[in-house]
Amino acid sequence: MSAYLVAMATYVGFFMILALALNLQWGMTGMVNFGIAGFYALGAYASGILTAKAGWPVGFGMLAGAAVGAAAGALVALLSVRLRDDFLAIVTLGFAEVVRLICLNEDWLTEGPRGLKIDARPFGSVFGREDYALFYLALVATAVLAVFAVAEAIRRSPYGRVLRAIREDDVVASVLGKDVLVFRVATFAIGAMFMGLAGALFAHFIQNISPYTFLPTVSIFIWMSVIVGGAGNNKGLLVGAGVVMLILEGSRFLNDFIRVLDAEKLSSIRIILIGVLLIVILRFRPSGLMPEEKFKPTSD
Amino acid sequence: MSNDAPLRIEGLRAGYGQADIVHGVSLSVARAEMVTIIGPNGAGKSTLLKAAAGAVRPRPGSSVTVAGREVAGLPASEIARAGVAYVPQEANVFRSLSVRENLELGAWSDRRRIADGLARVHAIFPVLSERAGARAGLLSGGQRQMVAFAMALMLEPAVLLLDEPSAGLSPVMVDQMFEAIIAVNRTGVAILMVEQNAVQALKISNRGVVMAAGAVAATGTAADLLADRSVAELYLGAAR
Amino acid sequence: MIGQLILNGFINAALLAPPAVAFTILFGILKFPNFAIGAYVTVGAFAAFAVNVQLGLPIWVAVVGAMAAGAAVAWLSDALVFKPLRGHAPVTLLVVSIAVAFILEQCVRLFYGGNVRGFDLALERPMRLWGLRITKEQLEILVISAVITLLVHLLLTYTAVGKAMRATADNPGLAEVRGIPHRRIAVFTWLLCGAIFGLSGFLAGLDLVIEPHIGWNLTIPIFAAAILGGIGSAGGALLGAILVGIAEELTVLVLPTTYKVAVGFLIITILLLFRPHGLFGQAEIKK
Repeated sequence: MSAYLVAMATYVGFFMILALALNLQWGMTGMVNFGIAGFYALGAYASGILTAKAGWPVGFGMLAGAAVGAAAGALVALLSVRLRDDFLAIVTLGFAEVVRLICLNEDWLTEGPRGLKIDARPFGSVFGREDYALFYLALVATAVLAVFAVAEAIRRSPYGRVLRAIREDDVVASVLGKDVLVFRVATFAIGAMFMGLAGALFAHFIQNISPYTFLPTVSIFIWMSVIVGGAGNNKGLLVGAGVVMLILEGSRFLNDFIRVLDAEKLSSIRIILIGVLLIVILRFRPSGLMPEEKFKPTSD
Repeated sequence: MSNDAPLRIEGLRAGYGQADIVHGVSLSVARAEMVTIIGPNGAGKSTLLKAAAGAVRPRPGSSVTVAGREVAGLPASEIARAGVAYVPQEANVFRSLSVRENLELGAWSDRRRIADGLARVHAIFPVLSERAGARAGLLSGGQRQMVAFAMALMLEPAVLLLDEPSAGLSPVMVDQMFEAIIAVNRTGVAILMVEQNAVQALKISNRGVVMAAGAVAATGTAADLLADRSVAELYLGAAR
Repeated sequence: MIGQLILNGFINAALLAPPAVAFTILFGILKFPNFAIGAYVTVGAFAAFAVNVQLGLPIWVAVVGAMAAGAAVAWLSDALVFKPLRGHAPVTLLVVSIAVAFILEQCVRLFYGGNVRGFDLALERPMRLWGLRITKEQLEILVISAVITLLVHLLLTYTAVGKAMRATADNPGLAEVRGIPHRRIAVFTWLLCGAIFGLSGFLAGLDLVIEPHIGWNLTIPIFAAAILGGIGSAGGALLGAILVGIAEELTVLVLPTTYKVAVGFLIITILLLFRPHGLFGQAEIKK
């Protein structure tokens, strides 16, 4: 039971990093990213392949996972920084699907649908089995805190304020020109880096990754977390990620007690519940559980 | 008589979001009368027209009657069917549709009158029949303004609400547009018009209303307003 | 070989064209890409299955059932979700539309599970026309799709309600002040497009197999076709459907078939890099 809670909390941690990263990209630059699952998968596979196949130490593998995420993020942002929101949504969704298809079909690299087995674990030999789960939870929690701190620092920095101000106004953005472009791309890349890091942390936690883990549904659940929590508010989306994860994973736990429905039906009901939750919250709390704090533009 | 004026506005308040832009305006337009609203930018002139047409919802308590019938709060399409034709200043044609289709859409709520309406507006603006197949978005500014105006005339409205009918037109086109407005007015249509080109507009109007900060600052016959020195200094100077 | 691929491409296009046209019409009034369209297609496919296989009624009744079910869920999703949430940011609505897609698809799964099904039709050998293979079902798909697309074109071009739909898509505020009731036009548009999505579900079930993911798999190619054609243009959507349909088939010459699904995305991405408004679309004037 407690092992289950620890595992679930760790899962919530991955979701929180993804949600914080998404909010950094969307909240700061206004660029919509529906390819979260793609960056997440890239980080997971990069670290997994480098440690399992090339024998890299875990720490370097994870750094590489984050770096691959950042590079892919910079590339996607550079190519599509000019697109309309709705087109950007489709392009990023497509990017994630292409990543997933590559993971599925290039067996020589990724082991395809069978999944990639990853033995390496950070400090794997130091802790016992029970303790290790706790250690990993602490590791993920530290990562969440670090990402939160970086995201808040960027949000509060002078650049962050400028970016948020111009997010509302395309005309200003085009007038300000190249600097803004560079900063937007950089912010998007930092977000993607965090997503890659989350993927790497996930890979060495679950120790067996397959393309089926990185379906577009992951991206959508993260979006729902951010919207439910309150777009633009980093504390709110931590709550949102917790709520969404609770419904996703918590009902599994329920299943151990109530055996009325088979697993397949229960999985359907979970997803329906999350969808309904999103719609109901938007209807009755249009700005989410914790709305973005309004900031006053300094008059200088 | 005065009770069923084509258009009567009383205590009209309107705005966007929480803020009111128009604070309790009352005015009426009689049959075949032309009233011009002048005033500085941001005085609430356009918002007043929009609220009268239902394009912006008037606040509760406002009253807009069309020939004695209360229409405040009705959807804009209902108010249009009641005989009020509003021509916005911008985005006033369907750009992706042909001139002919635009005009037909002006009579959408009573399609038996399309042929009759087309004949009438083609008589006023012959060029529109020559350009019937052209996409409205590709027309010159002047011709686009004609389409917008003609579309509003298709069902012979009792009231015309015109927002800056001469905006962006060349001087020749301005004259042509004002002539058309006068002609329509002579057929008995009540016209309420907002115009930057204040002097020229007042010259063809019966009455003028000066709006400032969302309220009526002065009213009078067009001739009186044109002669009034303070009005001229405050509101007509820049436009002259 | 090439000839057969191109023929397959046209059949593919026939599956994409009606929903791409419907998507682009719906976009005209919604102003955000509705990801739930795939779920309407799925509901249509399963409604047709229920009528044809579970109730044992003839196939043409199944067509009617598919269209009615598609129209019903499309209208309901507007009445219960999109209309009350109007005014939210387009991106939020986009996420909501994906949530609607999930809900509908999972409801179908709840009743039918994930199994693969088919209509109650006798299997026939493919016909041969000038050395090309085509099944009777594929021929029917081509004909039905062409007829529907033509009917929609005629509706939009020549009927009063069609012109009002185009006017509402072009400039909703102006349409309303010209006496065209926005709500009624919107409801009509939802019902019409929903019926087309339902019919597409039937056609897709005829060509492929019926399973809960059938609509989601079509969603991206449909978007690709509509964007390629320049959002908002029905004729463009048809042309886009033909291009995407053929491109998907021809890629098997250079890429393994497993990557076919990615073609729609690649087309969109490459196209948008060079023409951010679509192949036939015009730059919108932002206010």
